[in-house]
Amino acid sequence: MGGLPFEFSYVLKFIPKLASTLNVTLLIVGGSLLTGLLAGLLAALPRLYRIPVLEQLSKAYASFFRGTPILIQLFLFYYGLPEVLKWIGIDVSKTPVLVFVILTYGLHTGAYVSETIRASILAVDRGQVEAAYSIGMRGHQAFARIVAPQALAIAVPVFSNMILALLKDTSLAFTLGVMEMTGKAQTLASLTQHFFEAYLALAFVYFVLAFVLEKLLLHGEKRLLRHERGSEAAASKFRLRRRVSLRQLAAELKGGTPS
Amino acid sequence: MNLDPSFIWTAFLELLPAVPTTLILTLVSVVCGLSAGTALALLRYFRVPVLGRLAAGYVTVIRGTPMLTHLLLIYAGLPLLIDGLSQQYGWGWNSAQIPMIGFAFLSFSVTASAYGSEVIRSGLLSVNRGQLEAALSVGMTTAQALRRIVFPQALAASVPNLSNFVIGMMHASTLAFVVSVVDINAQAEIVASTNWKFFEAFLAAAAIFWGLTIVLERISALVERRINLYNRGGVA
Repeated sequence: MGGLPFEFSYVLKFIPKLASTLNVTLLIVGGSLLTGLLAGLLAALPRLYRIPVLEQLSKAYASFFRGTPILIQLFLFYYGLPEVLKWIGIDVSKTPVLVFVILTYGLHTGAYVSETIRASILAVDRGQVEAAYSIGMRGHQAFARIVAPQALAIAVPVFSNMILALLKDTSLAFTLGVMEMTGKAQTLASLTQHFFEAYLALAFVYFVLAFVLEKLLLHGEKRLLRHERGSEAAASKFRLRRRVSLRQLAAELKGGTPS
Repeated sequence: MNLDPSFIWTAFLELLPAVPTTLILTLVSVVCGLSAGTALALLRYFRVPVLGRLAAGYVTVIRGTPMLTHLLLIYAGLPLLIDGLSQQYGWGWNSAQIPMIGFAFLSFSVTASAYGSEVIRSGLLSVNRGQLEAALSVGMTTAQALRRIVFPQALAASVPNLSNFVIGMMHASTLAFVVSVVDINAQAEIVASTNWKFFEAFLAAAAIFWGLTIVLERISALVERRINLYNRGGVA
């Protein structure tokens, strides 16, 4: 990659130009997050209620989307989905690429969402449900009042991580020709031959975006979990029993997955 | 353009020669990442002045930007730097002599070092600080205490994280196509476009990655069981 000598002024010039494509990046993040939450919830239900066949399907779904690179999934959906849909007589050849991109990222995120939902519900101590039953709550009451709030407390930080990973993953959408930030950066780079400056600006915008998003999510977490405040001391009583499962959970969900 | 099931098998066979490239990319980035990551994690674990803060900043920046930008920055920036230095000091070589895969190795290792350091650090933090203090109190040096007491327990706690990390790096190595390294993904693209059978080729590539991932998960489960033997039962 040749390119012209480094000039810092180009970095400053590129930043606003990249920021102008921010809406595409955020659209992908937002769209796939909604798709992912829906898909994840649907996939988590059969595993929580142990519905025969559907449970296996849901397991295979999660395993596939967590077991293959997102880049391969993007290509697979972009090339494969139109063909599969053609068999059942639906023509999607005029559908914008962005739809495929959002769908792929959505299903990818959905796999992680389903695992998170399942794992955080299972992480709530069984005794909590029994205690709820013992004071006369019904199944759905025990779930809505006792299990769900505690599961949420476990799941929310994981969701935040997932959203940040999703943001960074959207940088791959350029491979299908979507003009989001990375695609824009590459265009700017080859137009001006200032490659390093363009990528520096790109990294800067992503970093600021990730930083702001992280702060917002942390703020949201605190608001959402304000009922948990002061429960640290009480929780520590249960820590011994929950330690192993929480450790496995954190590993399973957060992981050291680069994106 | 209809699905040609037999071509999935053909593509599968054509993709196999690219598997070693993916594995070597993964191996190099994991090994370099964990070595550098351990150093970074220790700097933060012992709260080394200045360096500890720098390590934390490095990890934040790397984890706050997509891996693709690291690769692009190194690919575009390293030649600028090397050629500049080479001209100034009259070295007999320039950046054109760096093999393409070198950029991938370097950039993936940079990314891996940040994520790896988080894996190591969470392992270190899961070991009670009292363990280190007890080891020091019986006269071990810090190095001995780390090697004999802290690391074995930290390792046992971080096996699931480690396996996620390795799998993540393997999936991330598909980015190598950006610097024209032919890994499984790039090979799938070649097979796809020469035969005009995109769906089949990427189905085969997905199958290979899925298989590799499952194998890695199985291995990690075995290792986890073996390494946690010391932790079995008792009054833990």
